[in-house]
Amino acid sequence: MRNLLDFLFKYGYWLLFIALESISLLLLFRFNNYQGSIGFTSANRIVGDIHALSAQVSSFFTLKEANESLVQYNLTLETENEMLRKVLRNLTTDDSIIVQQLEELRQDEVFHTVPANIISNSLNNRDNYLTLNKGAIDGIRPEMGVICGNGLVGIVYMVSEHYSLVISLLNSKSSISCKFKHNDYFGYLKWEEGDSRYAHLEDVPRHALFQQGDTVVTSGHSSVFPKGLMVGTVEEIEDSPDGMSYQLGIRLSTNFASLDNVLVLANRHAEELDRLEHITKEEP
Amino acid sequence: MLFTFLKRFGWMWVSVLLQALILNNIHFFGYATPFLYVYLLLKFDANISRYALLLWGFFMGLSIDIFSNTPGVNAAAATLLALARPFLIKLFAPRESPDDMEPGFRDMGAGPFMRYTTVSLLIHQTTLILLVTFSFAHPGAMALKIVGSTLLTALCIAAIESIRK
Repeated sequence: MRNLLDFLFKYGYWLLFIALESISLLLLFRFNNYQGSIGFTSANRIVGDIHALSAQVSSFFTLKEANESLVQYNLTLETENEMLRKVLRNLTTDDSIIVQQLEELRQDEVFHTVPANIISNSLNNRDNYLTLNKGAIDGIRPEMGVICGNGLVGIVYMVSEHYSLVISLLNSKSSISCKFKHNDYFGYLKWEEGDSRYAHLEDVPRHALFQQGDTVVTSGHSSVFPKGLMVGTVEEIEDSPDGMSYQLGIRLSTNFASLDNVLVLANRHAEELDRLEHITKEEP
Repeated sequence: MLFTFLKRFGWMWVSVLLQALILNNIHFFGYATPFLYVYLLLKFDANISRYALLLWGFFMGLSIDIFSNTPGVNAAAATLLALARPFLIKLFAPRESPDDMEPGFRDMGAGPFMRYTTVSLLIHQTTLILLVTFSFAHPGAMALKIVGSTLLTALCIAAIESIRK
């Protein structure tokens, strides 16, 4: 007995070591495939507050840049607006039909947007995440899409009361269905560790019609993103490793290195979908 | 006793915040990130109990992880380093150094301390990068990251040590 106690006292730290390492690995793997560990991420209350504070300080230094890009964006929107108005005027003299159609469109619109600020962001890991300063209280739920003025940002992964954690496009888990703007051939947008300006479009069929410089947009095949959101442009055309399809190098239109304001796309039917999922889960 | 604990606790938070909010955003040439929080782990007195060291390492790593959305990665690396530290000190510290010395330029001499630091950082970085990438797909980039971060951190630690000396 004494020997055993001596032994435990002398080498017990190995047991502690094994216990601590097991906890670490458990956290690592649980985070990767189980959406319950929000407390161990930067969307946790205290850590979120600290990040928010630090983001406030650092966004102060980039205000000028943000302002310029907003002005630029405003300008493009204004010209587009002007153009659309002209087209509308020329289209028909019977205003009532147009008004009616617009009204229908508005009612049909499934997505509404929630503006949010990024309080932490990373570019250089294999799996990059963003933290937003809006959470469940503001109506954000997992699986909602996140966009910025120039393009896609990512998909909400977990939410706490006041913060949410977003899987950025720059994450090995991210896979978004995209298509070419001028036809409907589609592929999946994936990202590999490295340059934050480029991603890959995989599984593009061999008979698809496209060329360098073509614009790639979201396909709208999932309920996360509506159809036609700008993703980027085709920069490189390569064969996939198995030679069965194309693998395209895409230059992303989103500049992940200077993101600050984003929009969360809240699906109006999210609650309905949630309920539906709940029902299917409860059934054995 | 309590005073030492509070002092260490305070330094832990300072280094965690420094690491999570500033240093984690530094990537020299896309490869080298300074991991200065390891310095705190290296500086504990040589006669600290192994249990205490393991717990400090684990909780420090875990706090960094929570900030940077990498649950378990830094915790695992720092715990492994905490386990290896007593052996490394025995290996690199000069024979005549007292039991309760504080590892550093003053008590160990610049050469031995930097050797001890470099090996410790290599252990920490290798574990970290292996857990983060979880594949051997790009061994070259991985090695560059490990060596780059180790050298950069060692450089920072040497600078701090020579100022504090």
